[in-house]
Amino acid sequence: MHMTRRPDADVASLLPLTPVVFEILLALGGGEQHGYAIMQDVAERTGGRIELHAGSLYRALSRLLEGGFIEELDERPAAAHDDQRRRYYRLTLLGTAVARAEAERLEAQLAVARERRLFRRHT
Amino acid sequence: MTRASLVLFRALLAAYPRRFRRRFAEAMEQSFREGYAHAATAGTAAALVFVVRACIDTGVNAVALRAVRLRDRVLWPDPIGLHQQKRTSDMWWQILVSDARYAFRMFRRNPVFAALAVVALGLGIGANTAIFTLVDSVLLRPLPYAHPDRLVMIWSSNEREHRDRDVVSPLDFMDFKRASAFSSVEAAYSFVIGGTWISKTGAEPITFTAVTSQLFETLGRAPILGRTFTPDDLQTGVLISYDFWQKRLGGDSAVLGRVLNIQYQPRTIVGVMPKDFIFPYRAMLGPSGFSSSLSVDMWFPLAFVDDNAFTRATATAPLSRQVRMLSVIARLADGHTREQASAELQGIARQIRGTHADTNGNIGVSIVPAHEQAVGSVRPALLLLVGGVGLVLLMSCINVANMLLARSTSRQRELAIRSALGAGRNRLIVQTLVESVLLGGLGGLMALAFLRLSVHGIVALAPPELPRLGEISPDMSVLLFAAALSVITGVATGLVPAFASSRGDVNSGLKQAGRSATSGRGQQRVRSALVILEAALAVVLTVSAGLLVRSFVSILSTDPGFQVEHLLTLQLTIPPKYNGTEQRRTMYADLEARLRAIPGVTDVGGTTRLPLGSTNVSTKINIEGRSVPPSQWPEAEFRRSVFDYFSTMGIPLRRGRLFTKQDGPNAPPVCVINETMARQMFAGIDPVGRRIKFGSADGPWVTIVGVIGDIRHSALDAPPQPEVYINYLVNPPSNPFIVLKTNADPASIVPAVRAQLQAVDKDIASNDIRPMTGVLSNSVAERRFILLLAVSFGVLSLLMAAVGVYGVMALVVSERAPEMAIRLALGASPSRVLQQVLQYGLVLAGAGAALGVAVSAVVAPSMRSLLFGVRPVDPFTFIAVPSLVVAVAVAACAGPAWRSMRVDPVRALRME
Repeated sequence: MHMTRRPDADVASLLPLTPVVFEILLALGGGEQHGYAIMQDVAERTGGRIELHAGSLYRALSRLLEGGFIEELDERPAAAHDDQRRRYYRLTLLGTAVARAEAERLEAQLAVARERRLFRRHT
Repeated sequence: MTRASLVLFRALLAAYPRRFRRRFAEAMEQSFREGYAHAATAGTAAALVFVVRACIDTGVNAVALRAVRLRDRVLWPDPIGLHQQKRTSDMWWQILVSDARYAFRMFRRNPVFAALAVVALGLGIGANTAIFTLVDSVLLRPLPYAHPDRLVMIWSSNEREHRDRDVVSPLDFMDFKRASAFSSVEAAYSFVIGGTWISKTGAEPITFTAVTSQLFETLGRAPILGRTFTPDDLQTGVLISYDFWQKRLGGDSAVLGRVLNIQYQPRTIVGVMPKDFIFPYRAMLGPSGFSSSLSVDMWFPLAFVDDNAFTRATATAPLSRQVRMLSVIARLADGHTREQASAELQGIARQIRGTHADTNGNIGVSIVPAHEQAVGSVRPALLLLVGGVGLVLLMSCINVANMLLARSTSRQRELAIRSALGAGRNRLIVQTLVESVLLGGLGGLMALAFLRLSVHGIVALAPPELPRLGEISPDMSVLLFAAALSVITGVATGLVPAFASSRGDVNSGLKQAGRSATSGRGQQRVRSALVILEAALAVVLTVSAGLLVRSFVSILSTDPGFQVEHLLTLQLTIPPKYNGTEQRRTMYADLEARLRAIPGVTDVGGTTRLPLGSTNVSTKINIEGRSVPPSQWPEAEFRRSVFDYFSTMGIPLRRGRLFTKQDGPNAPPVCVINETMARQMFAGIDPVGRRIKFGSADGPWVTIVGVIGDIRHSALDAPPQPEVYINYLVNPPSNPFIVLKTNADPASIVPAVRAQLQAVDKDIASNDIRPMTGVLSNSVAERRFILLLAVSFGVLSLLMAAVGVYGVMALVVSERAPEMAIRLALGASPSRVLQQVLQYGLVLAGAGAALGVAVSAVVAPSMRSLLFGVRPVDPFTFIAVPSLVVAVAVAACAGPAWRSMRVDPVRALRME
């Protein structure tokens, strides 16, 4: 069953996200990416703690596609220099909203932690 | 990117649901390539780690996707569900690592259990890996030739004698060469010759065969030194084997061009074949085929000569259709199938039949893949072993599963606590599986540690005639097999306990705090079922072993037709300086006198074909007074009797007389036949006094003067064939077997025999000096080998069944100790309690035995080809074996039952 949610759907009901999904959304936050680039981005940012391989990544991507969080690009950027077999993905409005909501949720938690001196670093 | 890892990755992609695959497979493969390329920049090790992780990840996710509808009950906690329901931020390998750590802690806390489980699984995996090594080397690995699947053997088929793989005559062979379905058709002697090499130190025995000049090219193998044959080599060239080069010539690098004195003729070495090159395999030879040695030392070029100029010793073949003496091997031409080739050959055979009805009247042609020819005969026995050893492994799995189950019962509280703290059912299942897979893996490691030893053991036990015996060695595929088997074993062992223990009820598990744990009804049922299954498997295995034992006993009790005890046998090669028959007769007289003079020798005989230890050669029999065309003449095995052969061997005379010293070249020609020949060719009439001719129409009439008893010639389980003997004095053989009857241990006179041979002529070479008992024992070696393995599997299975029954009964008794205590306290007699426990064991074993008998009755007929003198559903075996299994099971109950009777009511109740 495919159900495409619209951005005004109740994003709060989708929270909290699993760390892996959030990381993927974060990776796509910087703009459209192909599969391998997402893997690299996530691995670099998490210092290798979350290391995605093809099986996990594409199963997650298939879920995110089904849920309408991301979409596949029809055209590929700079096609001439690119490998035809790559597929590119970008955030949908819903995806952006959910990622934003998750970030806000985490920020709220952080704020409490900071207030109660459970988090030292200040930015 | 190594091809192998890409192939593996693609294979894993194939496991994904089709829709998913269509959409993502290409992109996944692409990211795998890119990831690999990136990892490879950090070195091979990093690339390897990447491949392993990526492949496991891909496999695991395929499983998870397939199970997506049952997501909540999936085996795997899902780290990429959209919603964060549980603490699932761990990646799957982190979960595995922590489970593995936990399992190791459990092993350390319970070392006896862990050790027992590892040993049980290790034994099972080890036995399977060893047998797989055997099967892999003998049956699965291709023959050591180029594109061996395109090689076939071509045989003549003899419809009249019902032989479909008869050797081929040289002229038929040349006609077969015309077939366009083959790129080449080559031939070799259908027998191996024991010959003589006169080295610096004297006459040494060697074995050789002769092959047509392009045979090595047809097989696709080149010498490692030198070259193959050219037409100039026909009279003088020889190719030697790697072993002969290394062991007899010291690996001399300047060996090419060296001249050896072989068969008392100079032969120049033109090449050395590679170490792994073997030709012919024993089964590629005809019925007249092999000497006791397994591989030949050298190959002569085969020269075709005029029918009359043919002598075997010089590697020639007569241009004849009568004399069948070649094994023919051919390579299918590109684009031709075996069926096409066979059809074409049938056409050629029909043509020959039309033009040469006298020689080829019943002769057709048959074609067999070379691999099938080489190893086909041992396939049933090896497959039986594979089945048997597989069942043994299944039994070790059951035993370990039972131990895990029993332990999970005592761990119920721990599991309940873990589950109360939030571990889902899946986690508990995964945990148990990780534990059992680790046990399997450790068992596999143990198996590998002993692999070399067990393979050596099997090779040492194996009969020398086992095809490809020398090629048995573990290779990469054996390692992969062991690894895969370890994982499968681990999973199989863990499945039942995993699901059984995860079903435990948290509430009742916790409530049992402080009380001794008992297993639930369901678990008890599972355990009982496992024990029944185990007893059934033990019956199946032991029945098979029992049938083989019965066959073996009936083979050994077959009367060979001659006295086996107190006989020494050997084979001689007489040098060609005695090439005149008169010279040979003189030499034979000297030989007989010297052998008879040896103290301890009571009688001396000899023959050209020793029963159970040599080959066959047959001749057509033309019976006087019967107008039968030559193609319809019956066949008989042809042999010569030397000295007093029949009395030395203890072969009884049934009618007429035996040979005397007067039956020489100047006396009327006479022969002696055996009872089977008398019965088949002279039914209802007295053969003594009748006359026959051998082979061709010309030649003298030979009078039958006596009929002797039948002997078993090819094997104890092969029925006697018609045999005809002539006396040696007519034309003394140049390769006779000598038999000496002794009144002492035959081995004790060997030095004296050698000394006397030297005294006759130091150039006489002697081979295979051994007692007749050794010849007989060697003739059943293959059967004994299979039997030995099958019986050891049978014994192992009985042991496993006993351990299984013991384990379950011990648990039952310890769990029910309070109940027994109450009964005893209330006045039940201890013997009644004992009886109950034994009864329970008896019911389980009895049910298992009944099931096993039913399965055996279905399976046993497939063993028919391995049985002799016993029916597949042999009443004795089918009653004795299940009784034995039940007895063993009841005996295994005895310990626990005894303990149950001695339960101390006070102590047992206090524990409550």
